[in-house]
Amino acid sequence: MRVVVADDVMLTREGIVRLLQDAGIEVVGEAEDAEALVREVNRTQPDVALVDIRMPPTHTDEGLVAAQAIRAKHPDVGVLVLSQYVEPSYALRLIQDHPERVGYLLKERVFDIATVVDALRRIVDGETVIDPTIVSRLVGRRRREDPLSQLTDREREVLGLVAEGMSNRAIATRLFVTERTVEAHITQIFMKLQLPESPDQHRRVLAVLAFLRA
Amino acid sequence: MYGLGALAVARGPGEFTTYAGSSGLAATLAVFTGFALVVAGLVTSLTRPAGRIGDLALVAGFVWFAPFWVGWTGGPPLVRSLGMVFAGFLFPVLIHVVLAYPSGRLQSKLARLLVSSVYLEAVLSSLGRALFRDPYFDPKCWDNCTDNAFLVRSLPGVAHTIQVMDVWFVMAAAGALAAFCVWRLVAATGPARRVLWPMSVAGLVLGATTGAHSIALSRAAEDPLDPVFLSIFMIQCAAVVLLASGLLWTALRARVQRRSVGRIVAGLGEAPSPGSLQSALARAVGDPELRLAYWLPDSRRYVDPHGTPVREPVAAPGRAVTALVRDGRQVAVVTHAASVADLEREIGADVRLALDNERLQAEVLTQLIDLRASRARIVQTGDAERRRLERDLHDGAQQRLLALSYDLRLAAAAAQAEGEAETASLLADATGEAQAALGELRELAHGIYPAILTEAGVGSAIASLVDEAPLPVEVAETVEERYPAPVETAVYIVVAEAIEDAAARAATFVGLSLLRDGDRLVITVADDGSERTASMSHLADRVGALGGWLVVEPTTVRAEVPCA
Repeated sequence: MRVVVADDVMLTREGIVRLLQDAGIEVVGEAEDAEALVREVNRTQPDVALVDIRMPPTHTDEGLVAAQAIRAKHPDVGVLVLSQYVEPSYALRLIQDHPERVGYLLKERVFDIATVVDALRRIVDGETVIDPTIVSRLVGRRRREDPLSQLTDREREVLGLVAEGMSNRAIATRLFVTERTVEAHITQIFMKLQLPESPDQHRRVLAVLAFLRA
Repeated sequence: MYGLGALAVARGPGEFTTYAGSSGLAATLAVFTGFALVVAGLVTSLTRPAGRIGDLALVAGFVWFAPFWVGWTGGPPLVRSLGMVFAGFLFPVLIHVVLAYPSGRLQSKLARLLVSSVYLEAVLSSLGRALFRDPYFDPKCWDNCTDNAFLVRSLPGVAHTIQVMDVWFVMAAAGALAAFCVWRLVAATGPARRVLWPMSVAGLVLGATTGAHSIALSRAAEDPLDPVFLSIFMIQCAAVVLLASGLLWTALRARVQRRSVGRIVAGLGEAPSPGSLQSALARAVGDPELRLAYWLPDSRRYVDPHGTPVREPVAAPGRAVTALVRDGRQVAVVTHAASVADLEREIGADVRLALDNERLQAEVLTQLIDLRASRARIVQTGDAERRRLERDLHDGAQQRLLALSYDLRLAAAAAQAEGEAETASLLADATGEAQAALGELRELAHGIYPAILTEAGVGSAIASLVDEAPLPVEVAETVEERYPAPVETAVYIVVAEAIEDAAARAATFVGLSLLRDGDRLVITVADDGSERTASMSHLADRVGALGGWLVVEPTTVRAEVPCA
């Protein structure tokens, strides 16, 4: 797997690069700002770009803007955004236009290399990755007449994993059940929440997140 | 008496030696013209003693009758000779009146040059004629061919040269007068033109007829019975009458203006709103562009009636500046059309009192504006400081914690590899602690200043507040667009604190709406908790610093913030 890493703090960037290399991932380019990132992506055509959300010059959402630009211009290049913010708005903004091959993870997961590598693999496979912390914040949101109260605990768990962008097979592996059981759960959930079941897995993530945020 | 005597001369012995003698109509017109000048001069002098223009018109009225006495055939030689001398000054005095109008002062260098050269020439030629012209030997004599009481030596050649030069000079001066009048009228604007036009038309006609008279003189000897000379004379009379009525009109208008300026205070009522004095003055003097500025000695600057600082008023072309003083102190400066004369004198004690009151009011308003600005600055400085802290936490402490947890992981892996299970487990715990610290740091930074507020705006930031809220929050309406940072921050803080307060009062639900109404953002946060006891005055301060207001009710907070 070929990856470009963008982070303006050299220490962090080098740490990430080393961890990725140790995990057997090929780092084909490094960038310290959004402009260099776009240049490196154009030059190396990587499988995924790993992007810090805060980059010069304003240290606000340059990374997010660059990620959206890359997704729009290079449909085959995936993007994993690392963010300091537990902000569903940012995650939704990222997956709004191109929900496949993108991910939004909290920055502190970066040194938990297994999580990062798993996210990169899923993105290369065309999935969507949303940080569990963001999903649990949305699922745990207080609601006056909570439609989620109709769900069983297991269904609630499945809903969260769907929102994290997992495929049915991944959910089945995680929960030690068959894919068929997962499918049954999802059908139940969508029926109870009156969501139209979408055949497209990425649109499914978007629909669930939007529902949770409404 | 003087005028009637002149009339008697004209109708009797001056029948062929004055224009007035040529016909009843000419006599009536000539005498009427002279009286018109005298009356206009008197009225102007009485209503506006400051300007010399009334006195000038009065002098012109007396000089007007001089040719009558010259034509007194058989009269006392001294009277006829004096008449000759004075008659030469009619044109200079009339030019002076026209050019000094309306203020009584000659405003431009050009006008001063023209008037003084005409006077000088009149002195020289009258003197030369008086000393050297013997009417007996003047072939062109018509009005007085016998008497010159001042004759020193008869020099017909010199006298003739003086006559010819005088004709040419007067012709040139008449042309200059006409041109000057046209130029002045074209250059003036608005109210100034309204004041100038009667005098300018009179000056133009006067210049034209005097020029025509000079041309006629250079071709033939003067003869009041000649139709050319007679009609020039008649038109000249009309021009002078126009001039006199222009003066009268101005004097009467000034009277009306003074009376309406005096009435301003009565029309203002007991508590006039800021600026009403300015518009009342503008109406009274007929100058909609009139502006009032007040000098604030404490802060050493000028402000308008609403308390907004303005630049020091200065005179501009067509605009004059008048300082108004009360009890030796300057209370206001008026910028007005230059044609509005003597404003300082016409504004009475009661208007000055009203001005002084409005000055105090403006001073208070200025202090309010300053205060609001300083409040806003204090709040903004605080916000900028929080924003900076939030960044420092992200870019400093957070990066170090990340590096620490990276090292801890490496160390744990190394310990594991060397079979030191206990150390590895300790290091794994430490990693967990570092992760927890990172999480807490993130929450802390978010609490100090939510980055999403700057980056995505108040709509997204409130959506995020709702995600995290400890109780259900329903958003009925919200905004998508961006607003100035101080507005977004104020709105965010009002909503955040209202939700927090609702949770503290054991509410089970919060209803929230944020909408734009014209140039304001209206925020309403209602809940179903117990009744509130806190006044939330710090929120009122924050909203007030932006010129908005906050209403705190038992279970509702409502705020309006100007956002345009």
